[in-house]
Order: sequence, then C-alpha cells, then structure tokens
Amino acid sequence: MSIVAGCDVGSLTTKAVIINNRRIVAAAIIRSGPRPVQSANEVMEKVCSEAGILQKGIDFCIGTGYGRESIEFVDEAVSEISCHAKGAQWLVPSARTIVDIGGQDCKVIRIDKEGNVQKFVTNDKCASGTGRFLDVMANVMNITTSELGKLSTKSTSPIAFASVCTVWAQADIIKHINARCRPEDICAGINAAMANRVSMLANTMKIEDDICITGGGAKNDGVVNALGGILGRRIKRINRVDPQLAGAIGAALLASQRTRNGSNR
Amino acid sequence: MKTAFYDAATNIDLDSVRAWKEKGGKVVGYTCSFLPTEVFYAADILPIRLRGVGADSMEIGDAYYGPFACTFPKAVLQLAGSEKYRFLDGVVISNGCDSMRRLDECWRKMSEDISDTLPSFFHYFDVPHKPEGYAVIWYMDQVKKLMDSVEKHFGRSISDENLKTAIRKQNQVRKSLWELERLRAFDPAKISGTEAFASIVASTVMPRDTYAELLLQCIDTVNQKKDNPLGGRKRIFLGGSVCDAVELVALIEKAGAVVVGENVCFGPRNENDLVDEDANPIEALTRTYLSGSACPRMFGWYKARLHTITERIKALKVDGVILQNIRFCDMHGTENGLLERDLEKIGIPSIRIEREYGPLTETGRLKMRVNAFVEQLESKSNHHEAMP
Amino acid sequence: MRPELLEYNLDWLFAATFNIAKKTENATEKELARLLQFAPYDSGLLTPLLGLGKPAITFIDLFGEYYSNIVNAKRDGKKVVMTTFCFDPSIFYAVNNLVPVTLEIGTALTSMLWKRGSYDFMDFCTEVGFSETGCSSQRGAMGAYLAGAGAKIDLVALNMGGVCDTNANAYSFAAQYLNVPYYGLDYPSQLTTEEVRRYHYKDYRELIQFIETHTGCKFDIDRLRELLEEKKIQDALLDEIEEMQRLVPNPVPGLYHILIYASRYIYSGRKKYTKMLREMVEIIRKNAAEGRSGLNSGVEKCRAFLIYIDNYSLNVGMWDWFDQNGIAHMGNILSRTFSEKAPYTTGIPGTTYEINTRDFESMIDSLADINARMPMTRTIRGPYDAPNMWLEDTLSLAGIYNADCCIYNGTPGCRNTWSNVKLITRDLEKYGYPTHLVYADSFDGRVESWDTTVMRLDEFFRIRGLL
Repeated sequence: MSIVAGCDVGSLTTKAVIINNRRIVAAAIIRSGPRPVQSANEVMEKVCSEAGILQKGIDFCIGTGYGRESIEFVDEAVSEISCHAKGAQWLVPSARTIVDIGGQDCKVIRIDKEGNVQKFVTNDKCASGTGRFLDVMANVMNITTSELGKLSTKSTSPIAFASVCTVWAQADIIKHINARCRPEDICAGINAAMANRVSMLANTMKIEDDICITGGGAKNDGVVNALGGILGRRIKRINRVDPQLAGAIGAALLASQRTRNGSNR
Repeated sequence: MKTAFYDAATNIDLDSVRAWKEKGGKVVGYTCSFLPTEVFYAADILPIRLRGVGADSMEIGDAYYGPFACTFPKAVLQLAGSEKYRFLDGVVISNGCDSMRRLDECWRKMSEDISDTLPSFFHYFDVPHKPEGYAVIWYMDQVKKLMDSVEKHFGRSISDENLKTAIRKQNQVRKSLWELERLRAFDPAKISGTEAFASIVASTVMPRDTYAELLLQCIDTVNQKKDNPLGGRKRIFLGGSVCDAVELVALIEKAGAVVVGENVCFGPRNENDLVDEDANPIEALTRTYLSGSACPRMFGWYKARLHTITERIKALKVDGVILQNIRFCDMHGTENGLLERDLEKIGIPSIRIEREYGPLTETGRLKMRVNAFVEQLESKSNHHEAMP
Repeated sequence: MRPELLEYNLDWLFAATFNIAKKTENATEKELARLLQFAPYDSGLLTPLLGLGKPAITFIDLFGEYYSNIVNAKRDGKKVVMTTFCFDPSIFYAVNNLVPVTLEIGTALTSMLWKRGSYDFMDFCTEVGFSETGCSSQRGAMGAYLAGAGAKIDLVALNMGGVCDTNANAYSFAAQYLNVPYYGLDYPSQLTTEEVRRYHYKDYRELIQFIETHTGCKFDIDRLRELLEEKKIQDALLDEIEEMQRLVPNPVPGLYHILIYASRYIYSGRKKYTKMLREMVEIIRKNAAEGRSGLNSGVEKCRAFLIYIDNYSLNVGMWDWFDQNGIAHMGNILSRTFSEKAPYTTGIPGTTYEINTRDFESMIDSLADINARMPMTRTIRGPYDAPNMWLEDTLSLAGIYNADCCIYNGTPGCRNTWSNVKLITRDLEKYGYPTHLVYADSFDGRVESWDTTVMRLDEFFRIRGLL
C-alpha cells in the first residue's frame, strides 16, 4: 500500500490531502498567500504532521490549482478540472455533473462513471459567478461569506439584482442597504444572482444527474438551493468532507492511480 | 529556417522586408484574407498581412476604438500609431468585419493626431457578404478598382501577363504549403504545429520568392528526419477567429498534444485552394478569394463551412478541436457555438475559448483549460482501452 | 432559463397585454389604477403611454393586432418570417400568407414591460451557443423563439449584411439553430453610386424569389401598390412631424418617437399606422399653434438629439427623466425616414428614396431603395465621416432641430458604432455640440444599472451647463 497526496493551490485557499489505502488520513485548508510555493509548503507541512509522516514518506504527490506549476515537491501537475472530477466522483459516486465554485473561477464538468471528464466549461468573463463575487458582496454587507448563505434561507422576498457585475452589484447592494431592505432579502438576491450566472454556464452543456457541488461555493446553502431551483434539479451535497477538498482529493486519487500503474518515483 | 519563420511570425520588423525596401521596393499592408495579394506582386509591390504582434499596450488603440471592440484591429492601430508600420507605402483596409472596417476611420483620425502615420496610399476594398451571383461581379469590379489605384499611385502597370505570373508563383507557394499540411496529416505528424503554423503565418509577411525557397527547404528537412517525437500525442485542430498566435499553438503542444491543422484565417483551407492559371486572371482570383473561402461573414453559408471543416478534421484524424475567438468577435464566437454542437454530434470533442489578441494575457487560465482538455482526450482513450 | 418562462407564449403575452390595455381607452382613472395593481410592471410603460391620448390607443391597438396575428398565424394558415427592425416590412404584407416577427421590438417590449426584462431569453441564447457579446437587441426575443416560447419560425429574412455584422449574425444563427431558410440583403459600404444601386436591385429581387419560394405565394401587385401608396401618405405625415419638430419649443412629445419607429418597423404601409400618425399630427399641430412644448411640464430647457438609439432598459425611464428635467427629445437615428421630401434631406442624388408604383418592377426598385435607406442601412453603412453618413447626418439633423447637445446610447454588442463612436463624439464636440457617451445597454439593464446611467446623464447636463 502506498501513501499518496494531493495539493491544490487555489487563488484564495490552498488545500492538501493525504490518502493511505483509499482512506483520507489528513486534510488541511489554509488561506493562500501571495506566493503559491509558500502556501503549498505550508499546507503540506500541516497535513504531514497531522498524518504523522515525513513529506518524503509520500510515494506520489500530484499538484493542481492555478499554482500547480510552481510547486516544487509534486511528482506531476494535473489540471483542476481532472482533479475535481475524480475527487467529486469518489465522494459522490452517482455524480455525473460537478459544479465547482472556486475562488476565482467556476466550472461545470460532466463525467462518466469512472470520473473521466467528458466535457467541461469554465467562466471566462470576470469575477461574476465565482467565489470572489460572494466574498466581495459579503464584505459590503459586513458579514462573512458563510453568513451570507445562512441569512438568505430566512428571506421572504429576495431582492432582484439587475447586474451580476461585481462592480455594479456592489453599488446596488449599498443602495438597498440605504433603502433599509432586510439583509436576508439582500443576501438571497446576491445568492440568486450568483446561481443565475452559474446556471448559465451549466446550461451551455448537457448536464446529467446526479449533480454535485464542490468548492467554497458549496458551503453556501443559499446558492445551492437557488441553483437547484433554476436548473429544476436536486443538487447532491458532499457531507463526508469539506467540499473545498474535492480537488485535492482528486489529485491524491490520481496519484494513487499513478503508483498502481508503476510510475513510482 | 525554423527561426526565420518563427521570427517572421512573431515580429513586425523583418530582415527580408527591410532588404526589399533597401532595394527600393514598395510594401503595402492589408487586413483580411479576402484581398488578392497577386495584384500587388503583379505590380512588384510586396503585400504583407497587417497584424498586431508585439503591441504591448493599447493606449492608442483604445483612444480611437471604443471598449467593446476586438483587440486585433486595436493592436494594429497601436502599432501604426507607435510608428512600427512606418515602412509601409500603402494600406488596404477591407470590411472583413465591422471592427476591422472601422480601422479605416480610426487610422485616418489617429494620423491627424500623430503625424506621419498614414501611408500615402490608403485604399478601402469593399468585399460583398455573398460568395456568388452579382457579388462576383461586384468583387471583380473592386479588384479592377484596386488595380487602377495601385497603377496610378505607384506608377506601375499591371498587365494580364504580370497577373498570371503572380498567380502562378503564388500557386507554387500554396502547393508547398499544402505539402506542409500533408506532413502534419501523417500519424504521427511529421512536424509540430508550432513549427508548421509559424511557417504559415510567415507566408503572409515575407517576400514570396524568399519564402518559397525557405519553405521547400523546410519541407525537405522534415522529410529527411528519421526520429519522430510526436507519436502518441493527441491530435488537435485549431479553429475560430483570426489567429496568428504561434504562442497559442505552442501552449497547446506544451500540454502534450500536437496541433495538426487550423482554420483561423491564416493558411490554406483545402487542397483546391489554388487560383486557375488559365482563366481570365481577375475572374480566377475572384473565384478563389471570394467564392472559395467561406468565412462566417458570409452570412447564411454555415453548412458549407461546417462541411469543409468536418472533412478536414476527419482527414487529419483529429482527436479534439479547440475553437478560439477574440473577445467581441460575434461572428466566430457564434459560429464556434454551432461548430461545437455539430462536431460533438459526430463524436469529436470540442472546446470553446474566448481570448484577447496579443501577448497571452490570460495564460494561466488558458493553459488550465487547454491542459484539462488534453487530459480529457487522454482519459477518453485510456477509458476506451480499459473497456473489454 | 427559469422553467416557468416556457409556460407562456411570448407573443400571446404581448397580444394579451395590448388587447387588454386597449380596453382601458374609456376607463376612469380609478378603474385604471385598479387594473394596474394587477400588472405592476406593465404600468411603467402603460401609464405614460395612456397619458399620450388617442395616438397611444391606436398604437396599443396596432400592437395588439400585430401580436394577435403572430399568435394566430398557424391557425390562419400563415407562415412566420423572422426579421429585423431596420427592414421595411411592407413587402411581407404583399403576400397573403406571411406574418413578420421583429426581434428587436420584442426585446424592447420585454425590457419596458417586465421586471427582469428579457434577461432569461438573452442568457438562453448564450446557453445554446450564441456569443454573449452579441447585440442584446436580438438576443432578448430571439431566446424566446429559439426556446420554443414564441411562434414557430418558418423563414428568416432581413437586411443588415454589410451594415451590422452582429445583427445579420444573430439571424443567421437563429436560422441555423431552427433549421429554417435564411436570406439577408447585403450592402456595400457606399450608397449613392449607380453600381451600388444596381447591386441593391439585384439583391432585392433575390429576396423576392426567396419569399415566393418559401411561401409558395406570388406577390399580389395590387396589394403591393396599395401598401406603397399608403406608405407615401405615411411619409408625408412623418415629414410634417419632422418639420414641426424644428419649432422652439418642440411641440412633439418625446415618447412619440418610439411610437413612430416601433410601429413603422412592424406596420409600415398599413392603415393603422397611418391612423396613428394622423392623430399625432393633429395633436402636434395644436401644440404648435399654441406654442406649447410636447413636454408634460410645458417648459423646454434643453433640446437633446440622440445620435443613435434610445434606452429601453427600465420601462420608459429615459423619456421620464428627460420629461422631468425639461429636456426635449429630438428623436434619434431610428425615427428618421429618408424619403425624398424629408426636411433634412440634402438634395444629393441617391441619398433618398422615391416611391414609384407604376408597375411591379418599379415598386420592387422602390422597395430596394427604401431598404437601402432605412436609418441604419443608410447612415452607418460606410465610414462615419464619408458624405451622407453618420457625421453629416447627425450634424444636419442636430442643426435643423436646433439641438443643444447630442447623446450616444446603444448596446455594447454594437461593434459598428462602438468602433467609431469616440471619433464622432470628438467631431461633434468640435462642431460645438456637447456630446455624451452612454456606456449602458439599451436592452440589458444588467450592463449598467439605470441609476448609474441617470447619474451620469445628470452629471453631463449639469457640468456642461445645459440645464
């Protein structure tokens, strides 16, 4: 049996997972620093100490995320699309569509039952439809991103946001705050705007059930519920682990495949 | 050789063009593949395709164009405004698309602010949006008008004989370019897409005779190569809007694939992309340039274009298609949507990518998507192999 | 797209809205208020409309009829042709089994009537492969027809090739997506030469053939003559309105412009349109005789000429704002005709059209001439600074109307104007017209919120000392 790891250096958070014998033995999420190398080293140290192993005890490690090329200790770099697909499929075996709402991008991936990517789309416009959008909006509301989700579930009359542009939406929120709208209604409006944007991406390809949501955005109930409503489908949640870990888990699973295929270092 | 082509594809200031100028030769820039370059060679003038390579900022482009316009003509304007195109004796603008045809006004107005940026020969070539019928007559008339004004301005005369010679020589280049395409069609490809595409782009900016000789040498060298490092790579076809970015092809190949063909407004579209050498030259040019090169600007001709592209993809044994377009290019952006749908219907995985023209500003994101797409293709074949 | 949107047919919704609104003609204020309680968003358009009196009722009637015809097309054995606003539709009415549906009109209506405009339809287009940067004016209603939430389209015919790529491109996409026949007229970059005219004539004759082939109907010459004769009357009325607009204060209510062009784009050559114009002329004449401004306040502080199109993104917010601030709307590029007797024509041969109903051939030539001189196909086809193009037109119009300023308002999808609007703005300023560039989207309020647009407009008018 080999010990494998996955390290996902995202724009906002860096994640790492160690898997031993198809079991997660350690996982960590830290805030990404300005330098991807540093964040990767830091998170790896954390998981290694949690697992009680030395980094050199890892048989194979795959790096992913936008900082994947710059990580020194990985054996291979794989795109986050492939990693998210693998990870999500492992966490929710019935998943055929994965919606990943990351810090700076959003992707929708259709997979087969082995977790192989069949088709994917990513947002290529701007921050709208990404975790950053939610962060910025929460910031304007002076609440945390997770409160944004919780509050919105209490809304009775969500505000309709004209713009999904991160800049204009901020101005709109301020306008609504000044007009003394209920914060829960504003939050619900933000989540609906976000879900709308994501649904557009999802609808550009044939989505298949089950749909599973990963990334930081998965922690926002408001977005998940609104998205399910717009798509007219139920969205499966990941309960076993933090949904932000899907990419790192997928990387570790691919690493494990590599060791089985004999590409041991 | 590779360096000469790569250099030509990625630079504006070329030794070969400089040598042409030093011998007293004239150079005219043009904007669109609908322009019959033979007309210029027939007048002993060097035609070069205008591009925006090396535009590292956009302050001039943005001063005249609005924000919702394609970065390709903006980059051309930027270079013109920063005197990078000073060596031009003339420019022909045509209405390839709305953003491109407005380069006419933007360039003229810019030259009122920045002196000596407008060549004395500045011609508008009006290409109809239909490839047949009365549009043929219109186009032929445009060619005649172009010839007239070239003759008048440069004091040259363009005889039928000159035109026929130019056609014959350009056909030679076309045949060689198709020869190069054949090398790419081998499985595994005999030449990398990066190298091949650089040669294709270079064909639009280097003096024809110099280029033709180098190209033959290049083909020879490739033919003599014994080893082939391109085996086992996924074969990619690049489609979409105007693209002269050799770096984009290189980025795709760095992801472990090989680019075996393009349909991006540069390079031969098919084997029959030749001008009839026996017919009336203007008629022959019209048939090839207007009727033979379907582009989404010819509204209503999508099916013909899909057919051409599909046939080519099949012949090249393509594993996946990357459809790119420069942001705000609605015609290709939209056509890419249709192509993606129709190619996937026949089992060819495709991906659409919107980008900006110029230095790969979004390299990180672009790279991630290209990598993921190549991984997708690879996992597909692994998967099939694993199937009983 | 929200699944519930597919529950209602778009054309039926419009037909129902207008047919019900028409019945309010004799309603008391109290009854009207009660009715609008049930249609809170519709009131943003209907309230100001109904305030315009008789012509507005005819407008509502005309629109109700137009959309009812589309709804009933299949039942009546008619085919539906998808077309564009800048195409003179009278030709479609000259065969007896064709009904045109004009996308931009539908998009503008949803923007003016619905809280979320046609955002869902716009996004649907993107979802099925249409470029997101494409013009919103088509993307709105087009989404509904592509999604099957509107009439089934049988053919597509329009006229924007060579003038507006993104327009022609949208229709060619729709034809491809729906797998129906497509025909587009094509325009060279020049207008007045003899060879251009010949090109137009041949091109238009192909269109005639296309229509006959796909409708299985021959053109009815008498019917065509009747439509064109009616169009002559309409042009004369329009000329009179334009002429009266030169008066200070301008006796033409700003909202009339949208009524004029919206109806022209769907009902050119039809009697109801003439009726509306007659009713307008009557009111304007009265205003003019009494020296009254068309503004509700009656006080004209400033005259603004819209050098492109209007903003429909929040009901009729733009007109309301103009009205409240005493700004007379002097029309835009869409409200002009280029008939030979229009007051702003330059007399240069080939710049205008003449309607000749002598025989079928001359009528077809006339229609080809008309189509080549619709606001966009005439004014923004060639270089903006070429003779009789955008700059010259704008200067002569702003001049004869005594405009105090110019405003560009369009859509970010407009590759054509956004590629030279900075140039024309600069030139207009040189000629002494303070000129404001609106960065909003006329049809898509998500691009720039209306609040922001208004804030910037307000800033422009104040800083430039126009109010």
